[in-house]
Amino acid sequence: MTAGKSRPRLSITIMVEDFFISYIGNTMLNKIGKIKQSAINDIQTIRSLSDLDNYRIKYLARKGLVADLFDELRNVSAEERPHIGKIANELRNQVQSLFDEKKQNLESNVKHEQKRLDLTLPGRLSWVGTQHPLTQTLDEIKRIFFRMGFGIATGPEIEDDYHNFEALNFPPDHPARDMQDTFFISDKVLLRTHTSPVQIRIMENQPPPVRVIIPGRVYRNEAVSARSYCLFHQVEGLYIDEGVTFSELKGTLVAFAKEFYGSDIKYRFRPSYFPFTEPSAEMDITCFLCKGKGCRMCKQTGWLEILGCGMVDPNVYKFVGYDPEKYSGYAFGMGIERITLLRYSIDDIRILFENDVRFLKQF
Amino acid sequence: MRISLNWLKQYIDLTISPSELAHHLTMVGLEVENIEDLGGKYNNFFVGKVLKVEKHPKADKLVICEVGIGKQQYQIVCGAPNVTPGQKVAVGLIGATVPRNQHDSDGKPFTLSQVKLRGVDSYGMICSEYELELGEDKEGIMVLPPDSVGGIPLAEYLHIDDIIFEVGITPNRPDAMSHLGIAREVGALLNREVMIPKIELKENNEPISNFATVDVLDSVNCPRYTARVIMDVEIGQSPEWMQNRLKAVGIRPVNNVVDITNYVLMECGHPLHAFDYDKISDHKIIVKCATKKESFTTLDHKVRILQSDTLMICDAKLPIAIAGVMGGESTEISDATTKIIIESAYFNPRSIRRTSKYYGVNTDASQRFERGTDPNITAWAVDRAAQLINEICGGETLQGRVDVYPERISEKEINLRIKTTNDLLGLSLSATTISELLSKFGVQLIDDGSKDSAKELLRFKVPTFRPDIEREIDLIEEIARAYGYDNIKLKMSSSVHFLYDHHSFEYIDELRQQIIGRGMMEVVTNSMQDVSVASLTTDKIVKIANPISKDMEALRPSLIPSMLDIIHHNIDHGIANLRLFEIGKVYFNDHITNEFQVIKGYSEEDRVVLAFSGNAYPSAWDQKPRSLDVFDIKGEILTLFEKISLDNIKFIPYSNTDALTEYGLTIEINGEYAGLIGVIRSTILSKFNIEQDVFISELIVSVLERNRSKKKQFKSLPKFPIVARDIAIVVDDGLEIEKIESEIISAAGKILNKFQLFDVYIGDQISPGKKSCAYGLELRAEDHTMTQDEIDKVMQKIIDRIQYNLNGTIRK
Ligand SMILES: [Zn+2]
Repeated sequence: MTAGKSRPRLSITIMVEDFFISYIGNTMLNKIGKIKQSAINDIQTIRSLSDLDNYRIKYLARKGLVADLFDELRNVSAEERPHIGKIANELRNQVQSLFDEKKQNLESNVKHEQKRLDLTLPGRLSWVGTQHPLTQTLDEIKRIFFRMGFGIATGPEIEDDYHNFEALNFPPDHPARDMQDTFFISDKVLLRTHTSPVQIRIMENQPPPVRVIIPGRVYRNEAVSARSYCLFHQVEGLYIDEGVTFSELKGTLVAFAKEFYGSDIKYRFRPSYFPFTEPSAEMDITCFLCKGKGCRMCKQTGWLEILGCGMVDPNVYKFVGYDPEKYSGYAFGMGIERITLLRYSIDDIRILFENDVRFLKQF
Repeated sequence: MRISLNWLKQYIDLTISPSELAHHLTMVGLEVENIEDLGGKYNNFFVGKVLKVEKHPKADKLVICEVGIGKQQYQIVCGAPNVTPGQKVAVGLIGATVPRNQHDSDGKPFTLSQVKLRGVDSYGMICSEYELELGEDKEGIMVLPPDSVGGIPLAEYLHIDDIIFEVGITPNRPDAMSHLGIAREVGALLNREVMIPKIELKENNEPISNFATVDVLDSVNCPRYTARVIMDVEIGQSPEWMQNRLKAVGIRPVNNVVDITNYVLMECGHPLHAFDYDKISDHKIIVKCATKKESFTTLDHKVRILQSDTLMICDAKLPIAIAGVMGGESTEISDATTKIIIESAYFNPRSIRRTSKYYGVNTDASQRFERGTDPNITAWAVDRAAQLINEICGGETLQGRVDVYPERISEKEINLRIKTTNDLLGLSLSATTISELLSKFGVQLIDDGSKDSAKELLRFKVPTFRPDIEREIDLIEEIARAYGYDNIKLKMSSSVHFLYDHHSFEYIDELRQQIIGRGMMEVVTNSMQDVSVASLTTDKIVKIANPISKDMEALRPSLIPSMLDIIHHNIDHGIANLRLFEIGKVYFNDHITNEFQVIKGYSEEDRVVLAFSGNAYPSAWDQKPRSLDVFDIKGEILTLFEKISLDNIKFIPYSNTDALTEYGLTIEINGEYAGLIGVIRSTILSKFNIEQDVFISELIVSVLERNRSKKKQFKSLPKFPIVARDIAIVVDDGLEIEKIESEIISAAGKILNKFQLFDVYIGDQISPGKKSCAYGLELRAEDHTMTQDEIDKVMQKIIDRIQYNLNGTIRK
């Protein structure tokens, strides 16, 4: 019940049509106007029921201003009386309704006061949901690549040796297989060690061009420690078309990194090795904790490795039946856990899988 | 692998700082993961000479020493009883951090600063063994031998003034697994010459062929076998400089001959093996695959049962080494050894890898052989070892080498197209630039393409130490590496849109957001669990053949158990009100082909699990907490389903059929099984150490997705008013509510807009064994305002049905 809401919207327009108004009549109309104005002004200053009673006495009581007005109406000529009488009536109604509204407001205020409502009591809460930091990170990565025109694809976690290794140019009995300690289910069936087998599955099923990201869970047979867990999540990217170059790979990944980590980051690409890409590279960005000076998080190097990438090796095209003379392309992959740990300065990967509510609430 | 800076400097002049060198190596693909300053803890410690010792004017136990370090002299106040002029001592100067404080009970380190001791300035400290962490003697200062060189840093005196680079070498670069290999890369980067040690080997005039023979029966797995014989060697410790080199790179010194083979390995990357000549039957070496399952004891004293395709080094009678992996105990170099055969062979990488995997033995030698060593370095390596042995262990090298190399492995020749190179890299390099870049890494231009009509084809010859370079693309990578990845400009083509069928991924994202909106917290859990847990719900478990541990031997067939672990963890940490969910996969070993199978015999399915425990709503100052019950969960699920556009939902009660839940409801959507709601069994709760009720719902994502009403269609808003009527129906206590509701629905038909059960009463007001169910009904006709008569008729119809079909009555 604010003052603004109760402000009366009163407007009695005194319109006189086809009448010649006498002096007395005119005096009466002026008087009505004045009473109206003062009734509106007075009502706004009233703060209590006793103030309001004074108001009633002033305007609406038997000896009040409005009653006086009707007394004086007797002096007005018979021709003018109905007209001016109607205006006086409207005034009385309006003053009455000002009074009624004010009375209601004041009474309900009093009711509140009587309840002695303590507004500093806490509100009643509802349960609050949270999204796990890993899926939050993945969502952000997805959004950026969607904007760059990438689609999305997924594949099975239980994979065969062919898709996980062989078709990705890991020959049997090759030391490169040691890079990824593998969980086997049977001789030729395993838990995928990376999301890259989905690359093969996509290329097997459709001709170029291909432009997708591939998120998913992958497994490594490594002892669980603060730095590594037996499973983690990756996002893989694949782009194959005519005329895709290494510069294009760099351009896309730098655009991603600036979007994700901030436009002021510095970056570098350094040679590396993955059997299914050549040339292969790893991308580093300046450590955002120490800004490149060297700290514990970046192992004093000033750089943080954020992803691996490279141009798809022609051997991979042979496995899926793409023409390496016609098409070229790039692939990249990054670890969601690693990115999440870096972003939030979390120093133990296991806490991500512990799902302590006190941890989850922080994101 | 560990690379020593001092060792590296033997082969290349380096003027750049260790961190610059590390940067260069990293940027050429040899990632320096760590730089270790071995002598770092002795910064500001020097070997000094005590020149003068005087009594302290104010303290009996202190003396004032004058110590010379090089040309400088320092005044040092010392409290040791054994300090005398002329001694060589270890001195820490201001700024040095003394590793252990002998006046501190924990021996914490402390840093020296200039101090006044009883009024006399002291500019350093003469240290004890204990303080330097070189021994436990605290009684006095450490006195160095009189012939020690004064003035040099202590680290240098201790031979630990070295910087070690921990280099991560990718499996494609066996050529970089040695100091010469790294020097070669650094030389290419910095345009410096690499100084390969000159070998001047003195041989006697006895031809080796009179003393030893080598017979290679399997030249596929052993393309080259080179050996030398050295007589009259003296086995002992190797010199200190060599021991220091080996220790710095992490190799334990054994004896001079073994140390020399390891030294040559770390120098040039080629593994050697030394046999005791006298222990080799008939002095005859035969290289062949093992023929029978015999036992063989390797150098590490382990007995191994040989497998038939293992390549072995044998003498006339027995196996003496697992080729390329580990030698045998019987021909090991011992103190009594006087004659040795040094083996320098080249083995087939795949054969060595199979062997190493089969026996589970991973050695410095096997690591290099399986990645591919240089077949043309064997003679150099064996000569280098013989030279060092003659220098260090004495003896005489017999004339010549045995070298079985029936088919020389020559340098590969590879064609490179200029346009292909530039197209792939996004560059525009000329033929000259390309060949200059490649020559940095020893790849030589042998045909400049002038005869080629398009002048576009170049031909290169690749040194045999680079087995990874086999194809055009491999050359392109070398070009990019030499050019510098950072020098390739960025480019981004206009984005092209190709959309793939990724509806299910979007659906999961939507589902996740809706569940979070219902006030639930998302968890992510391990998909591997104990077989005993996994087999609670199914026998179609996917088992891992090589699990990390027993509790991670199976892939989960349900999301519930891992959720119970999380609930236990949180209750254990004082959080008893939980609303958690997970969206993840479950896995089955399934021999019936179904839609979720990609790999034959295995299926994966996306599920969502919702778990609730504790109170029904957050506590507030004017509400008494109430524990959750199954109807809270049923309500949650219905609310969620409404939000995700699911209808025609049926809940079917079950009991005692599910392994994890005690009772609950299965959920059908459009007649299709979609999952269940349940109360976790008390036996399961105690298995997970949970002492409060847990309610769960596990749903199949694909069923939810398939059944959602896809198209939203506008229906005009009702024009006629709703009539509300309440009715209290009294029926047998045991009658299911669902039965009453289906009678109301079928009796009222289309005009029943909505109905809600608002009270269930059992008590004095009605007969025993009965319950009263109060419903609020909302009736409305679509095309007119209902008359009183119409409404009464409908109500009567409901009442009749209740009476007739359910034997119920209406409570007035
Ligand atoms: Zn940092």
